Amino acid sequence: MNRFNHLPTLKVDSASKIAFVYKGKKYYGAKGDTIATALFANGIRIFSRSLKYHRPRGLYSLDGECSNTCMEVDGIPNVRCENTLLKDGMVIKEQNVKGSAQNDMMGFIDKLDWMMPAGFYYNTMHKPAKIWPIAMKQIRKAAGLGTLSPDFDMPGRYDEIYPTADVVIIGGGPAGMTAAIEAGKKGLRVILMESRPWLGGCFEYRSREYQNRQTLNERAHQLANEVNALDNIRVFTHTSAVGVYNNNLVTGFQIGQEEDPFTERYLEIRATSIVVAAGCIERPLIFDHNERPGVMQAACALRLAKTYGILPGKKAVFSVGHDFGLEAAIELHDLGLPIACIADIREDGQDPFLMKRIQAKNIPFHKGWVANTTHGQKEVKAVTLSGIDGLITKKVNCDLLVASAGMTPVTGHITVNQGKLCYDSHTNFFLPKEMPEKMHAAGTLLGLTDPVSIETSGKLAGLKAAFDCENCSIKDIGDAKKELEALPGPARGSKLVTAPVQGRKSFICFDEDTTIKNIKQAIDKGFDVPELIKRFTSAGTGPGQGGIPGHNLPLYVAKYQALQDISIKPTTVRPPLVPTGISTYAGTNHKMFKITPMDDMQRKDGGIFRNIGVWQRARYFSSDLSCKKEIENVRSNVGMLDGSTLGKFRIHGPDALKALQRVYVSDMSKVKEGRIKYSAMCNDDGCVIDDGVVVKQGENDYYFTTSTGRAGQTVEWIRYHTRYDGWDFSLVNLTDSMGVINLSGPNARKVLEKVVDIDVSNEAFGFSEYKAFKIQDTIPVKAMRLGFVGELSYELHVPSSYMKAVWLMLKDAGQEFNIQNFGVEAQNVLRMEKCHIILGQESEQRTNLLDVGLGFLWDRSKTDTKTVGTVALRQAESDQSRFRLVGFEMENNGRAPRDGSLIVDTKVRGYVCTARDSFSMNKAVGMALVEAPLADIGTRLEIFEDECGDERIYGKVVKMPFYDPSGQRMKM
Amino acid sequence: MKEIQRVSPVVLKGTPVKTEKRDNWDVVLEYSGETEGPVIVDLSHKPRFDLQDGNVGEKKPFGFDLPQTPGQSVFEKGILANRMNGTQVSLYNLAGGEDTPDDPGITDVTEATLFIALIGKEVFSICEKLSALDFEDPNREVPFLFQGPFSHVPCQIVTLCKDGDNSGVVLTCSRGYGRDMIHSILDAGKEFGLAPAGENRFSDWIKSL
Repeated sequence: MNRFNHLPTLKVDSASKIAFVYKGKKYYGAKGDTIATALFANGIRIFSRSLKYHRPRGLYSLDGECSNTCMEVDGIPNVRCENTLLKDGMVIKEQNVKGSAQNDMMGFIDKLDWMMPAGFYYNTMHKPAKIWPIAMKQIRKAAGLGTLSPDFDMPGRYDEIYPTADVVIIGGGPAGMTAAIEAGKKGLRVILMESRPWLGGCFEYRSREYQNRQTLNERAHQLANEVNALDNIRVFTHTSAVGVYNNNLVTGFQIGQEEDPFTERYLEIRATSIVVAAGCIERPLIFDHNERPGVMQAACALRLAKTYGILPGKKAVFSVGHDFGLEAAIELHDLGLPIACIADIREDGQDPFLMKRIQAKNIPFHKGWVANTTHGQKEVKAVTLSGIDGLITKKVNCDLLVASAGMTPVTGHITVNQGKLCYDSHTNFFLPKEMPEKMHAAGTLLGLTDPVSIETSGKLAGLKAAFDCENCSIKDIGDAKKELEALPGPARGSKLVTAPVQGRKSFICFDEDTTIKNIKQAIDKGFDVPELIKRFTSAGTGPGQGGIPGHNLPLYVAKYQALQDISIKPTTVRPPLVPTGISTYAGTNHKMFKITPMDDMQRKDGGIFRNIGVWQRARYFSSDLSCKKEIENVRSNVGMLDGSTLGKFRIHGPDALKALQRVYVSDMSKVKEGRIKYSAMCNDDGCVIDDGVVVKQGENDYYFTTSTGRAGQTVEWIRYHTRYDGWDFSLVNLTDSMGVINLSGPNARKVLEKVVDIDVSNEAFGFSEYKAFKIQDTIPVKAMRLGFVGELSYELHVPSSYMKAVWLMLKDAGQEFNIQNFGVEAQNVLRMEKCHIILGQESEQRTNLLDVGLGFLWDRSKTDTKTVGTVALRQAESDQSRFRLVGFEMENNGRAPRDGSLIVDTKVRGYVCTARDSFSMNKAVGMALVEAPLADIGTRLEIFEDECGDERIYGKVVKMPFYDPSGQRMKM
Repeated sequence: MKEIQRVSPVVLKGTPVKTEKRDNWDVVLEYSGETEGPVIVDLSHKPRFDLQDGNVGEKKPFGFDLPQTPGQSVFEKGILANRMNGTQVSLYNLAGGEDTPDDPGITDVTEATLFIALIGKEVFSICEKLSALDFEDPNREVPFLFQGPFSHVPCQIVTLCKDGDNSGVVLTCSRGYGRDMIHSILDAGKEFGLAPAGENRFSDWIKSL
């Protein structure tokens, strides 16, 4: 096809060819083409088949208002080809067809529409109920648009930005640009979002005179230059605003150009004020076969020629309801498109200037006429026109029917931000009645058609936005208001919704194949408002996000029910107002995990890491997930564990002790210098939430640890529970500041004494003692004698930057003993053998201090302060219905049950917290929380595992701890 | 006896051409081929302190008045003091060299965080890819502090300059996030040519403010 290459409005470079593959054959488009225009230029008229009836569908809007041109591109289904720029090497396929879009074997379904009235599946496929799952599968097979493998890897780079602006302007047409210039001149930070790849909006492709012989196209360029000249205006083209939320948060996405480093990027903009100048789309004219390829909207036909250099047909009929349709007919006629006739829905009110030009060009013109039906098997071959009363008809041969009932304001950005719309009988629009705070509307969406009025409305909105930013006077706004009032106001809108047809093949929603007949059926069944009809008929629930039926549906519902006034509202629109891939919302999706100072070294040593909360930790050090060697090494030799994820805090100040007394159940005044105090924290219900150790570093100065999972909340927890006391203390989170090495095993002392200068003998540094010292007079260490794994252990707290140095020293010193790493799972088994609990493992939200056997920590004699949780603990003390933590071993040398398995008889009686095959004990042991009657030693426990069917495994309650009950090994 | 070496949470891919040993840190003063474009500088070796006190506004740990309003920062005598809330101030010793002030309310938190500077014209374009905080807020005078998410991680970020080529911020966050934070910043800065630079570049920049 020959393309225009001389028009000033063109956005394609016909000389620069872009190759692409369509259905296995190579084609060429021009630089600047969308996929849809490139296909159209190559003679493709049928792009897809419809969702339900498999009707042929073609180019209709050029702005992606319906799914007609959704295709599979480079393996990605549902690409909106009207909005997607053609790129070299693209592979394009039709979707939702059996065969081809031209010859779809499923096309026969179109003749079975009588079998599928509105809501047919609700009515027919539930009696008997067992039909439904079968029917649902078949319907889903037949329906749907495109297929995507669950493991499909989305190509491209998806980015995100979070800019801040004083004013965000949605829509880069004349009103939006004028608003931007006004706000920009005030020195405000302005963001201008335009969904097309260029600024200009409805001026960009039109040659009509603006003023003083300047065309609208030239004026658009002039405004765009003014916008670009202001540094404080950021322009985002090819960017759709998809949501507006409280406090003027605007979200959107931008499609990357060739030179951009992203494929698409998500935008989240915080603004003080918003101007919505999103313009209008065309309101579809409804008649029989109104979506047959060859039927298109006026702007689509005109932009095909003016923007993309493609004549949209060989012979056209126009059936329109507005002056823009007449203007399009004249411009296309001047470009060489033969026009058989124009049928104008309106009896009067046409622009006299346009009428004069139509007469001068001898284009047949019919007032009060409308397209009634199109003819042709797959594409338009002729159209039958009729008077709007349907009394007389006339058939005209053509391959292009330009059809448009009127205009529809794009108000989604206002309504998603809780603005209210109201029907306006003059414009036939649903116009904003109540604008959200600090949001202003401008341009054609207010019904304005006069170019100067459109711009002036933008100026007024820009000044109002500046006022919101405290940067404009009331007088300036008043002057702009007067200026606008002196100009032509909103134009009268055409009210016709449908041609005089029965509506069996008159589509109100192209995406869901919903016809006027379906709407009537829904209303006849009692669904009397658009919200209900939408759900019953699916109208407006497709990829076009309600663009096609959004305006016609409420108008038609009002008309069919002969409502006196159109109090009916359009259906609710919701974000995202424009569809795009989930990949865009996912953005770059950086994984943000914390690592310990020893991460790198442990990975080199073969550590297998797992994400545990915000941390990544070495869980295993071999592919043997039972960790046998790691466990045996700690029990018989010496191992090193990286415990850096422990929460670590400093609390200091005159009232530090009071704060500790408040949150810990023990009497913290008994913390002695050089000794470790183990204690626990409860919540107000007495449920245990944390445990750890506290050491005294000096007068009113303590260092304490928390569990890994609680570290992030500890400061707030203590502050919250002391909020009314006015106590003077300070808390510093040192979790990341200090690394922790747990040196454990019978040879631990022999390793440590080679590294440190202090005496670490049992006499000098006994169990439960604390020492602060320096290694090589340089590295400060806080050392604690603890026994979490049940062996001689030293917990060394070392500044993070020195961790590697100390780790290497211990490794060197331990070489002669063959010191080994051990991971979190080995630690879990070791401490389980010793029956030391891990909160979260041996407890859940309802487990209190007494349930897990930590009641001995609770000091009831504290008088100085109230202790969090003790009131509830006193009540729980005599409650015999609570769970008890018990140890158990498996019967007949059986295997360990899975963690979380249920303890049952005829009911659920408890659950397994942790259980493992113990290498130290040579049997499977574990801990469980069970009802009190099951807690007696020797009680048989029946254990139910997931998916075990009727099989059960059995254990019996035994004494705790399983390993080294006298505790000699950790005190050696 | 092996030499004791401290390890920064920040790993930058670059070839150091000038380094200096300082308090057991290997401080990179200059990288090979440092560019004029935006740069990232590891300052994790610079001492940082937490000061908490009921009357923190009256304290003068480094001999000058601390900022009185939360969010305000003061840069004096090489110390950047940032008012966090009614009772807390963070102190970054950008000049380095001074001992920990003798105040019971002070805790050395150098080890708790990573510390970097981002310098250059495109710094705010990089930042807006990772945070919704308005580092260029025209209503705030530099230096000013934000405490909020940066790449989804709670951070302290101080805008020191928002003047074209000289723009820059310093950022601290939990040390554990070092690997992923640096990765996300470098990834965000890739399109702008963000590259590592040594401490000299930072020192020159600080002097120019």
